[in-house]
Amino acid sequence: MRTVNSILSALVVTAVLLAANPSLAHFGTITPSDDIVTQNDPKTLNLQIKFIHPMELHYMEMVKPKQFGVVHDDKKTDLLNSLQATKGKSPDQNEKFTFWTTDYKIRRPGDYTFYVEPTPYWEPAEDLFIVHYTKVCVNALGLEKGWDQPVGLETEIVPMTRPYGLWTGNLFTGQVLLKGKPVPFAEVEIEYLNESPENISVVIPPADPYVTQVVKADANGVFSYAMPRAGWWGFSALSEAEWKLKYDGKEKGVEIGAVYWVHTRDMK
Amino acid sequence: MKIMNYLLIPAVVLLLFNGTALAHKVNLFAYAEAGKVYTESYFPDGRPVEGGKVLVYDSQDNLLLEGVTDKEGLFSFPVPKVDDLTIVIEATMGHKNSFKLKKADVEAGK
Repeated sequence: MRTVNSILSALVVTAVLLAANPSLAHFGTITPSDDIVTQNDPKTLNLQIKFIHPMELHYMEMVKPKQFGVVHDDKKTDLLNSLQATKGKSPDQNEKFTFWTTDYKIRRPGDYTFYVEPTPYWEPAEDLFIVHYTKVCVNALGLEKGWDQPVGLETEIVPMTRPYGLWTGNLFTGQVLLKGKPVPFAEVEIEYLNESPENISVVIPPADPYVTQVVKADANGVFSYAMPRAGWWGFSALSEAEWKLKYDGKEKGVEIGAVYWVHTRDMK
Repeated sequence: MKIMNYLLIPAVVLLLFNGTALAHKVNLFAYAEAGKVYTESYFPDGRPVEGGKVLVYDSQDNLLLEGVTDKEGLFSFPVPKVDDLTIVIEATMGHKNSFKLKKADVEAGK
C-alpha cells in the first residue's frame, strides 16, 4: 500500500510539474536603452530583441526575425537588415542563446513604435509553434504623437495608456486586436523583466502564480494592470492562428501573441 | 487662520509649477540642411506654435537673430555662424523652451 502511495505521489508530483511547466510564459521582448529621448540624451538607441521567460530570466534560442521595423510619423521603416546576432543567458543557464540587437538613431521628434515579427518557434512541450508580435514605443523630443496607433500586425496590443512616462504603480490599459478587431475577453499574461537594468534585486516569486500575472479583457478587448515595480513590464495576449505550420510533415497549430512592453520608474 | 491656509496652498502650488506649464509645454526642434537652419515649434500633441518668438544665440550667449513662427510653427534662417547654437522659443503666456544645435550639426548642414 505504501509503495502504491509513493508511486501515486510521485505520479502526482510529475503531473503537477508537467502541468506547471507550460505555465512558464514565453515572451518576445524588445527593450530599448531609453524610452524617453530628451534633448540632452544620446540620440542613438540600442535595442535588444529576445525570446525569454522574463521573470525567470531564461533565454531561448531565437533565429533571425521575419520582420523588424519602426513606425514614426505614420511611416514604416524596415530595419531587419540592421539586426546583429549576439548571445546571452541567465545566471543559471549553462549554454548561451542567440538574441538580436541593433542601434537606431533618432532624427526627429515624435513617437517611435518598434515592432518585431519573429520566425515561428517550435515548442515541443506544447506541440505548437509560437509567434509573438512584439512592440515597444520610444518617445523623442517632446512630441507625444503616434503611440495610440496600431501598426497593422496580425495581432497586437494597442496602448490606451500613453506607454511612456509611467510611474511604478500606474495602471496600464491596452486593447487586444486580432486582424484589426478587438478580442473579447482576451486573456493577457503579464511578467516583470527581472533583468531590467534598474532592478535592484532579482525578484524571487514565492509561488508559481506570482511568475505570470493573468488578467482578462472586457467585451471590447480592453484590459488593465497596475505595475508594482520599477523596470520593464511585458503584456502578452495569446490567440490561436487560423493557419497551420508543418513540423515533421504534420500540421501543427500556431500560437500568435500580441506583446507590448512598457517601462516604469519609482517616484522619488 | 483657515483663510490664510486657503491662500497659501494655491500660492505654493503656483510657485512649484511656475515655468513648467505642463499641459501646454512648448518644444522646439532644429536641424541644419543646405545652408539653412530649420526650426519646428510644437505642443506635445503636435499642434504647431503659431506666432511664437524664436531667438538664436551663439555659444557666448550673443543674440544672433530673431524671428516669428508661421502657421505651421516653422521658422528658418541661413546658418548665421558655425558654432553651438541655442535656439529659444517663446510662446504666449510665458511658455518657453530651448534647443541646442551642436556645432558639428551646424557644420554638417552648412
